[in-house]
Amino acid sequence: MSRQAIAGTSPAAATSPSAVEARREQRRRQLFSSKSVHLTQKYLRRMRDLGGSAELMQPFFDAMERVYVRGQDVRKPRGTKTVGTYCVQVPQELVYAAGAQPVKLCSGHYTAFSVGDDVVARDACPLVKAIAGFKHMGTLPLYENCSLMVVPITCDCKKRIAGLLQDMCPVHALPVPANKGDEDVETFVAELYQLADVVSQHTGQAVTHESLARAFERTGYAQYELSRFLRIRRKTPNLLYGTHAMVAMNASSYLDVDAWAHAMRTLNDELERRAHAKQLVTRKDRPRVMLTGSPIVFPNIKVPLLVEESGGMVVADETCMGERGMSDPVVPVDTSFDGLMRALAIRALRPCPCPTFADNTQRLYRLRRMVRDHRVEGVIYHVLRGCLVYDYEYRMVEEELDRLGIPVIRLESDYTDEDVEQLRIRTEAFVEMIKLKKGPQRANRSMRG
Amino acid sequence: MSKRGLIAGIACASTALVAYFAWQFSFFEYETAIYTTTADRLFTSDHLAKLVPLLLIGLMSAIGIVLCVAVRGWLTRRDPAHAPFAAQRASRSARRIRGRRVSGFMVARWACMVGFFVLMVFGGVILGARFANISIPVLSCPANMSQLTETSCYYLAHLDELATLPWTGIAAFVVSTLGFVLVFGRTLCGFLCPMGLAQDLMHTIRQATRVEGVAMTEDMYQALVPLKWTMLLLMIGLSFAGGNFCNFCPAIALTPAAAGLSVSLYASGFIMVFVLIASFFKRRFFCTICPLGFLMGMANKVQLFRITKDCTACTECGACYEACPMGIRQIYTERACANVTDVNCIMCGECVRCCPEDGALALTFAGKRLYTSKRARVVRGYQRSAHE
Repeated sequence: MSRQAIAGTSPAAATSPSAVEARREQRRRQLFSSKSVHLTQKYLRRMRDLGGSAELMQPFFDAMERVYVRGQDVRKPRGTKTVGTYCVQVPQELVYAAGAQPVKLCSGHYTAFSVGDDVVARDACPLVKAIAGFKHMGTLPLYENCSLMVVPITCDCKKRIAGLLQDMCPVHALPVPANKGDEDVETFVAELYQLADVVSQHTGQAVTHESLARAFERTGYAQYELSRFLRIRRKTPNLLYGTHAMVAMNASSYLDVDAWAHAMRTLNDELERRAHAKQLVTRKDRPRVMLTGSPIVFPNIKVPLLVEESGGMVVADETCMGERGMSDPVVPVDTSFDGLMRALAIRALRPCPCPTFADNTQRLYRLRRMVRDHRVEGVIYHVLRGCLVYDYEYRMVEEELDRLGIPVIRLESDYTDEDVEQLRIRTEAFVEMIKLKKGPQRANRSMRG
Repeated sequence: MSKRGLIAGIACASTALVAYFAWQFSFFEYETAIYTTTADRLFTSDHLAKLVPLLLIGLMSAIGIVLCVAVRGWLTRRDPAHAPFAAQRASRSARRIRGRRVSGFMVARWACMVGFFVLMVFGGVILGARFANISIPVLSCPANMSQLTETSCYYLAHLDELATLPWTGIAAFVVSTLGFVLVFGRTLCGFLCPMGLAQDLMHTIRQATRVEGVAMTEDMYQALVPLKWTMLLLMIGLSFAGGNFCNFCPAIALTPAAAGLSVSLYASGFIMVFVLIASFFKRRFFCTICPLGFLMGMANKVQLFRITKDCTACTECGACYEACPMGIRQIYTERACANVTDVNCIMCGECVRCCPEDGALALTFAGKRLYTSKRARVVRGYQRSAHE
């Protein structure tokens, strides 16, 4: 829609210097849009080319296509406002309760990154650069239509982006405590009350006991379907590619929670049928790889794609735009309004193994559990360039995985296609190494299969 | 001396004073005390008349609760940060979130509590005093001589009287009490204790009326520890100092009146009102300072009922800690030890019920899992609401 608006300027005004400048700007935006559409299509194509159960992913690919290719806003009931959120610490329930639609704006777009590179600090992480890029170009309705953005103050980059976005749209910075004690929960509950007030002022619809309870039920159902999905994948490996699974979970950012839950349900039903019929994407005993580290956001899914293109299998991921984003359910213990708010605050803080919390040893336990549950044979620790908090934790994770005898490599990447070949070499070597480690007989068998 | 220490000191001292002079605070006095009842008197007008002190306590608690809610509502409305949500926080009619399903364990627990209450109140009359030699360590007031069994609290609060018993009596008391404690520990608190039932009922009423509770932090629980010690010392020692703990103990207000006995209430009546109000806002408040439960908790390392944890499955989400009426923090912070049975654990199973991780928490008896946490239990109920 915005692209049409840009194309529709009158030619009469094209003589003054400012008009020339405006036209140049216009062309820049058009170029930006077409480049970003091209990139999205390329990654969607690569995912389809991966084969496997790609056809089951259509509803999720559609959501991506709608937002990034067709340049439309997310699908939502007419008149509903959207509220942009970042990180897992912003309770989606609160946004739904205020009658708005939350969208997760953490971005993985290379084109926007290259624009944002000039806007924000050089050493900032690419995720934040991509956000800044989109907001700077002002072409994507996903960002432009947000009536409010809620930025949790988790890492330094998020703190800065909150300040930067303030110049362009209404922003609410949500302070997140660095610890998870009782006092911190109390503080965060107070912050959530404030957030609820701000959101309802923007939507004109109050957060009520009734609407909050309804929002709990809606997200609760989505979490039920997600838990089903994770269980099916755990029980029957090789049922679908990890890249596809990650994108399916990522798509929850751009879909209404009901629509996403419905799509997940259809997917789960089909996967259960296929598991029963032993209809797997591959019968090979592929090296089982787990991804962890910095967020992997569509279309920056080159790392899982590379793993699966080089013969590995991403069996699980411990990243905040993947499994971790929604998998921890909110557990309301108290039925009062305050009880629901407390449940939201507790859920946002305590189970979250985000390295922006001062003490994050619980992440090790989570990793250890995932390694056991998914019989992981190798871990790829993904670090976005400039993502310091995850980089800090690499050592801790490496030592822990060493103790378990699980090989791990640190893959640093940026939002660009230029490092793909280099990453490919490393990923292929890693996957081959796991194959060798599995022993010659098993390797042979996997080759025959 | 720190401010907190001073407050704790004053609270403990005043508790001790009230306990010592408990007979001075008359709540409801009878001319003559009647400690037994007969089957033909059950559910007659005479029995109903004896319920008056209990009803009075209920009425006073209700008034107290309404007042507390009103004051809190007023404070919320005045607080600029919370004023926008004052109406929602006071709302009573919101839908019930269909997250969780009723589990067999919880049904069994409630059936145990209610069944035991009935047995302790009327059992002796209906079945005869067959188990009079057995002492169960729960707060079911032994002023009711027609109970099915004896309860240990009487002789624990009157150790001087215990010494005057024949040796068989002493042996029966010691063996049965220790036996129950070593096998069950505080499981009795969660499954049998009538005081626990009364408090759980108050909590259920609060949940049904959607009134918000008081979330106690770890500091608050810590602050109650001196009070718990004071209560224990009072229970054990008051008889030697010339006082009578029963005039102070809130349990005396519950079962004797329910059984239709004439048992005068002194400070205990007021304490019971306070306990009911407190347990309305904070689940099982009295259990956190109960002297008998404190003693029983000492068996937490040997008792056969245990809470076990699969530390690798835990995500430290804290749902168990939030649900725990006793505020046991290590249940979610523990990362090495499989047995997380705490001194304070009453085996109510709330942590297991709320735990969203498969098999992370379990209530076990002699190593056998009786109740295991499940993700499905927490989220499956949402299925129905989504398809309405």
